[in-house]
Amino acid sequence: MSPARALAAAALAALAIAPWVAARYQLSLLTDLLIYGLFALSLDLIMGYTGMVSFGHAAYFGLGAYASALVLIHFAQPVPVALLAGALLAGAVALPVGWFSTRATGIYFAMLTLAFAQLLYTVAYKWRDLTGGSDGIAGVPKTVLFWGGPSLAAPHAFYFLVAACVVGSLAICRAVVRSPFGRALEAIRENERRFTSLGRDPRPFKLVVFVIAAVFAGLAGALFAPFRGFASPEVMFWVFSGQGLMMVIMGGLGTLVGPILGAMVFILIQEVLSSYTEHWMIFTGAVFVLMVIFLPGGLVGTVRRLRARA
Amino acid sequence: MANLVEQLLNALTLAGLLFLVSAGLSLVFGILRVVNFAHGVFYMLGAYLGFTAVALSGAFWPALVGVPLVVGTLGALLESSTLRFIYRRPPIYQLLLTFGLALILEEGIRIVYGPTAKGIDPPAVLEGAIRLGSLQYPRYRLFVVALGLVVAAAVWLFLRRTRAGLVIRAVAQNSEMADCLGADVARVRTLVFGAACALAGLGGVAAAPMTTAYLGMGIGVIVDAFVVVVIGGLGSIGGSLAGSLIVGAAQTWGAFYLPETAMVIMYAVMGAILIFRPWGLFGEPE
Amino acid sequence: MRAGREKGTTMRRRDFLTMAAVGGVGAGLGLPGLLRRAAAATPIKIGMPAALSGSYAQYGIQAKRAAELFTKDITAKGGVLGRPVEFIYEDTAGDPATAVRKAQKLVEKDGVKFLTGIALSSEALAVSAKCPEWKVIFMSTINGAGALTAKAWNRYFFRVNTSGPMGARAISLYLAEGPMKRFFALGSDYAWGRDSVASFTSQITAAKKEIVGTDYPPVGTKDFASYIAKIRQSKADGVYLALPGQDATIYLKQAHQFGLNREVKPIMEILELENMKAVGDAMVGAIGSSRYPFTVDTPRNRDFVKRFHDLHGLYPDMFDGETYEGLEWLAQVIQKAGTDDVEKVIDAWEDSSYDGLEGPFLMRKCDHQAVQLGFAVEAVKDPKYPHPVPKILATYPGEKVTPKCRTEDF
Repeated sequence: MSPARALAAAALAALAIAPWVAARYQLSLLTDLLIYGLFALSLDLIMGYTGMVSFGHAAYFGLGAYASALVLIHFAQPVPVALLAGALLAGAVALPVGWFSTRATGIYFAMLTLAFAQLLYTVAYKWRDLTGGSDGIAGVPKTVLFWGGPSLAAPHAFYFLVAACVVGSLAICRAVVRSPFGRALEAIRENERRFTSLGRDPRPFKLVVFVIAAVFAGLAGALFAPFRGFASPEVMFWVFSGQGLMMVIMGGLGTLVGPILGAMVFILIQEVLSSYTEHWMIFTGAVFVLMVIFLPGGLVGTVRRLRARA
Repeated sequence: MANLVEQLLNALTLAGLLFLVSAGLSLVFGILRVVNFAHGVFYMLGAYLGFTAVALSGAFWPALVGVPLVVGTLGALLESSTLRFIYRRPPIYQLLLTFGLALILEEGIRIVYGPTAKGIDPPAVLEGAIRLGSLQYPRYRLFVVALGLVVAAAVWLFLRRTRAGLVIRAVAQNSEMADCLGADVARVRTLVFGAACALAGLGGVAAAPMTTAYLGMGIGVIVDAFVVVVIGGLGSIGGSLAGSLIVGAAQTWGAFYLPETAMVIMYAVMGAILIFRPWGLFGEPE
Repeated sequence: MRAGREKGTTMRRRDFLTMAAVGGVGAGLGLPGLLRRAAAATPIKIGMPAALSGSYAQYGIQAKRAAELFTKDITAKGGVLGRPVEFIYEDTAGDPATAVRKAQKLVEKDGVKFLTGIALSSEALAVSAKCPEWKVIFMSTINGAGALTAKAWNRYFFRVNTSGPMGARAISLYLAEGPMKRFFALGSDYAWGRDSVASFTSQITAAKKEIVGTDYPPVGTKDFASYIAKIRQSKADGVYLALPGQDATIYLKQAHQFGLNREVKPIMEILELENMKAVGDAMVGAIGSSRYPFTVDTPRNRDFVKRFHDLHGLYPDMFDGETYEGLEWLAQVIQKAGTDDVEKVIDAWEDSSYDGLEGPFLMRKCDHQAVQLGFAVEAVKDPKYPHPVPKILATYPGEKVTPKCRTEDF
């Protein structure tokens, strides 16, 4: 077994036994971290494999969260139905947004995705009858696994659902980037002009990956709403999109696993520091600065480079 | 009529402030290829240092001149101690680094000044309102309009008519070529970054009498400034001016005539422009 | 200043651990007396997931300041049930997702049974919905959202502070008797701003006065010039402002520069010291409701203001006062219940009364809203203070300013 495979097996085993070894709060925190990890993973699919920086990815997380919250509150359906609704809504909205945004490249693409995201944020913020406006929707229940099936209210039950979603999503994303479609994406990232000169149009590729990424972000949001019990406009705000970028860069661009770890480290740094000092932002900022200068490949990229050197 | 004049002046005031912030952001992008997320914090730092300078000197004008120098120096120091090492990386890394710097500076300001907003009074000459026909308009706002115009003209003349401006434009066009031709590219970058921060600091001092100096004002302005720069076209000073006028007009007139759209009108305008011109009004396709 | 753990006694955490260790060793050596003391000293923990950084830090910091003074006072009295009180502060940065995570950490990891100090309505609604699941009490001392004691209410939620509808009620009662007839309503475009404007509108029109215009500027508006022009054109006598801290400061500053404050009187949903400090003399003459005006002349309040000033070097703002009252009341209720068991504390708190800083409080059983005095105040200059201060114009009894049970209506 290669070291990478051994590590993956160990990580899976750790996820599987976590509910029996972790304290109550540690399990809640791990669930939370996995949800953010899924969000960062989905962003890496666009950023890492096409080089396009989306500055509006939170919108799809938020759409997933609202769709899921509404399905659970108003229709009391099983959680997987809510997850499906969240992922589909995010993907459906990403289609027209991606169609317009992929006309632009570089920073202009980033700003177009930001503009659309802020538009969606405003809709969530202003449509009080449906979304509760700035107060959001609170009291979202963790219902059941399937009709007549077991309740997901127990912490470990919901944890397993989240862990399964994250592992499954990671597997699908890996398959996507290793497929011929994924190779085409990398060709676009490396040299878009060359790709075009071969007589191929890069836009459909970009659009498809944009929608796939939105679907997984929507899934993450759809898990978030029942886990945290609410959905509010903050999860669609550009600040959260920006945090997503940080998570991906910290973990390692274009590594899929890296952004999951990056999200965990990002949240944990703030979690730990902010318990000790209200001036945690200074330390968080310093960590960012030092990481960018000294760990150019993020956590995973740096580990890989060190191993290659050894 | 008075109403229309007032709306026009309101738009110009906001445009003046936006230009002071966005000009530097655009310069830094055009010449350093860096999206400087910390730019808003330099604006905020300008406002707070302006408060201190007014408190110490008892006058507004020394603050307006002195604070930008201090902010610019700090910016230059930060550029040469951090950003300098990562110019070869993709732009997203510089964004992350400047985000880190922004967090550090913002929190530093909070530790020094505490959470309460700090008010500055306009200088006595600019206190109160002036009568323009049936309209009463604050003198200080007219000053902000004039300041924006003067700075725009000065930056444009500097870049177009001086030797230093020529070198800077050369670096912006092709930094490697400029390096071969004997330009000290590293120094140009440091000076441009410092000058951009100084402009942001100037904007902060100018804004403080209208908005007070408060925590979060940097993050509040940076997104507006990004929108301005993207509408105008990255790296173009003329574009920043046009973008500032468009965003200033959209925000003030939107709030007046279409109040329910106030939250989003700026983004809607940007989205519309980018859909038809994906590289901004004065930018060039990449 | 240091967030995180601070002991309810003057002991530092390490000292406490040392003492606990000594107690443990003492027990091992067969000193039952010492053991009993160590067990009795298990602190009563109160969790504060407060906004200590970000745009709303001002509110979290007020809650923390109040807790610091309370800690000092309760320690001097020997604690609650003979046990020290320990506050655990967590920074939410004003973000509801972080607030729920931090609250969950306080409950599941630190074992707190009481949460307070939450600043934003969105945070409060999200955390309150989780409290029945966690079985902990959430005591609001800041949150104004009417829904918290109406459609979103649950048994674990208590509101000690004056709510938004109650503030709007107090100032409406005051205006109903005054000479001003035409009003413009300007509320920030979020739940509190819109709800306050709605509440004000219905009450002021019931008093046969006129609303001549309404607008909702987005939160974080930097330039109010467009709104100022509209307000002037409306020829209103007064403008009702439901703007959060910094937005209100900017509005007042700019309206002053336009010379509008002389023509159209500013009427604030809440008249905060924070605004008065930042705006300065330009604020003099503004009126509004106050949830706790520190200038209330009662012996209890005079003593509180002095001790607060001795500790922090400044005068208490609204949430300093309301949070202190909440903590004092909670301590009395725990004492009365004889235990910190959550269900028993809830029972003891319902229908209980408390002698607050500005007057009597009663905790209504039906929706856990504290019935208390309502104030209409004006910002005035007073040479005794470095900034304008609230002068009380009118005081209304609790029954007149508290909504009907489990509603936001009067």
